[in-house]
Amino acid sequence: MAEGTRIGPTCHGMGSRQDPVSSSGSCNFPEYELPELNTRAFYVGAFGELWRGRLRGEGDLSLKEPQASALPGSQGVAEWGQEDAAVARDLGCSLEAAAELRAVCGLDKLKCLEAGEDPEVIPEDTDLVTLGVRKRLLEQREETITIDRVCRQETFAYEMHKEHKPYQTMLVLGSQKLTELRDSICCVSDLQIGGEFSNTPDQAPEHISKDLYKSAFFYFEGTFYNDKRYPECRDLSRTIIEWSESHDRGYGKFQTAKMEDFTFNDLYIKLGFPYLYCHQGDCEHVVVITDIRLVHRDDCLDRTLYPLLIKKHWLWTRKCFVCKMYTARWVTNNDSFAPEDPCFFCDVCFRMLHYDSEGNKLGEFLAYPYVDPGTFN
Amino acid sequence: MRNLEKNMFTKEALALAWQYFLPPYTFQIRVGALYLLYGLYNTQLCQPKQKIRVALKDWDEVLKFQQDLINAQHFDAAYIFRKLRLDKAFHFTAMPKLLSYRMKKKIQRAEVTEEFKDPNDRVMKLITSDVLEEMLNVHDHYQNMKHIISGDKSNPDKALSLIKDDFFDNIKNIVLEHQQWHKDRKNPSLKSKVKDGEEKREGNSQESERCERAESLARIKSKAFSVVVQASKSRRHRQVKLDSSDSDSASGQGQIKATRKKRNKETLKSAGRKMSSKNRDNMQNVHKEDKSLRLSMPVITEEEEDNESFSETEFTAPKRKRKSRTKNLV
Repeated sequence: MAEGTRIGPTCHGMGSRQDPVSSSGSCNFPEYELPELNTRAFYVGAFGELWRGRLRGEGDLSLKEPQASALPGSQGVAEWGQEDAAVARDLGCSLEAAAELRAVCGLDKLKCLEAGEDPEVIPEDTDLVTLGVRKRLLEQREETITIDRVCRQETFAYEMHKEHKPYQTMLVLGSQKLTELRDSICCVSDLQIGGEFSNTPDQAPEHISKDLYKSAFFYFEGTFYNDKRYPECRDLSRTIIEWSESHDRGYGKFQTAKMEDFTFNDLYIKLGFPYLYCHQGDCEHVVVITDIRLVHRDDCLDRTLYPLLIKKHWLWTRKCFVCKMYTARWVTNNDSFAPEDPCFFCDVCFRMLHYDSEGNKLGEFLAYPYVDPGTFN
Repeated sequence: MRNLEKNMFTKEALALAWQYFLPPYTFQIRVGALYLLYGLYNTQLCQPKQKIRVALKDWDEVLKFQQDLINAQHFDAAYIFRKLRLDKAFHFTAMPKLLSYRMKKKIQRAEVTEEFKDPNDRVMKLITSDVLEEMLNVHDHYQNMKHIISGDKSNPDKALSLIKDDFFDNIKNIVLEHQQWHKDRKNPSLKSKVKDGEEKREGNSQESERCERAESLARIKSKAFSVVVQASKSRRHRQVKLDSSDSDSASGQGQIKATRKKRNKETLKSAGRKMSSKNRDNMQNVHKEDKSLRLSMPVITEEEEDNESFSETEFTAPKRKRKSRTKNLV
């Protein structure tokens, strides 16, 4: 079958890019590489431009709230006349036709729910098969994690080795830097407090891991984007690059870049393809960009809220062994008082069991502060 | 919980309806899908409303469809599309679905209902009006060049005679035959549609809209069967102005004589798979037309007699018929 000229637009607006347009002749029309799984790689910013080029500026892209006159039922006759004229102009029909269209195709012609009717209540006398099925299913609550779209771009980070459910879903703006996403990813390993505190339980640890180990990188399409904002940040990706270059392992040449220098618009990525976020030296998260779209009027319009957390996997929190009520804050090993090893305690129960009223340590044990993964719930 | 259900349901419903809005479904199905989208979008209970996802690669098709609607004067469908767009009911996305590399999840292949699809006319898709026009231009240009570089200006050198001179005509006639065969195959249903339209002329505006729609539909169908309806575009580097009747779907095959040519047979073999054997015999009597009188180029002599006057009448008559139908619409 002769294909028409489908890939028309060339990749414009690439002048400011550091990397040249890929030699694979990438057109920035996203299309499947593996059907239903992921797309070929393309430049995000250029893709956005392709869309904007096809849309009618204000009409399609404006983020302003609709004017009051656009609401049904609130229009006067004069406004109708105006609207009819616009319709007649756009469709190339007469004014009478436009008026007729408004009457015939108007929203009030769609039979909607009458006021006071509850869609949850299914009438008894229905003979629609689907309604019957729905009735039976109304009791079953199946919750599946859905992946929402994020404004302009959707990223979700999850642990692959867990049950393949996304841990976090974020909305990110194309103009935001990678570092902003990095800062918004909540990982429990960031909060870990190192050290054994059985002798000094009251000493609030000053630093959490996040402050101590600041290095991190993202890996997208052959490039490691390292966080280099602080002097303590190290290039975690170097190990990998050296390993890959030491022998001919069949990987292409990896590149490094600075995370803070790139926005999402600058990226060359595949949709639906698993990438990597690594921090704390060995804590790895799989990052998949599930969708990219133009921002819409109904999206959250407050830029300061982005990256916006949309969905979060709810985790069971480990409760204190004693009271079974509060989330565990301590974990002990080799504990003569504990029935199991390791054993988890909330703060109150921990102190009551292991220390006397003066705060002296009783018995032998090792105690570590514990941060439960469900802390972010 | 309710909200989650509402959102999921609406998303799924819209995505499902959207599939039918894109090719390869027939025009009728696509209009139906548009109505479905309009209804689903506006009656949904989600607040804020779930949007209809459009991928970049599909947008051009959508615009083309909108233009078709306007051209065919399906004002109601065009109106609701316009309304959807004005209401910002679309999300302009990269891909139709969210992708998350779910390898374990069983990929549900959407079953495409076969009867909703347009018949896949690969012959027509291969030999389009553009292709035919281009071929004609190249052919004539080539003949011209042969004349120019030959010693004897009126006849090209024998040494340059490397192709069948009537190659273009043969292809064109084969294609026209094929179209006619298609048309004849569909003819019974087409005729009944038109009749229905005419019977329902009385009644309120909605009824007349429906019959007008039926008429427009019939018109569009007959349009779809012709290779070229519009006049040819002009080419900058060539001065040839094609007269539209040349490559139009004149249905005068019955009266076309033919000469048996070797190339004929070969093209028949590749393009003739879809044709019935009866047609194939007819095809071998293909005749080529003389276009030379219409061109502003120097005359290229051809062997057979021309049939052009016949085809011209054939062309204008249907055109006139179409015009009269148009007037009856709003």
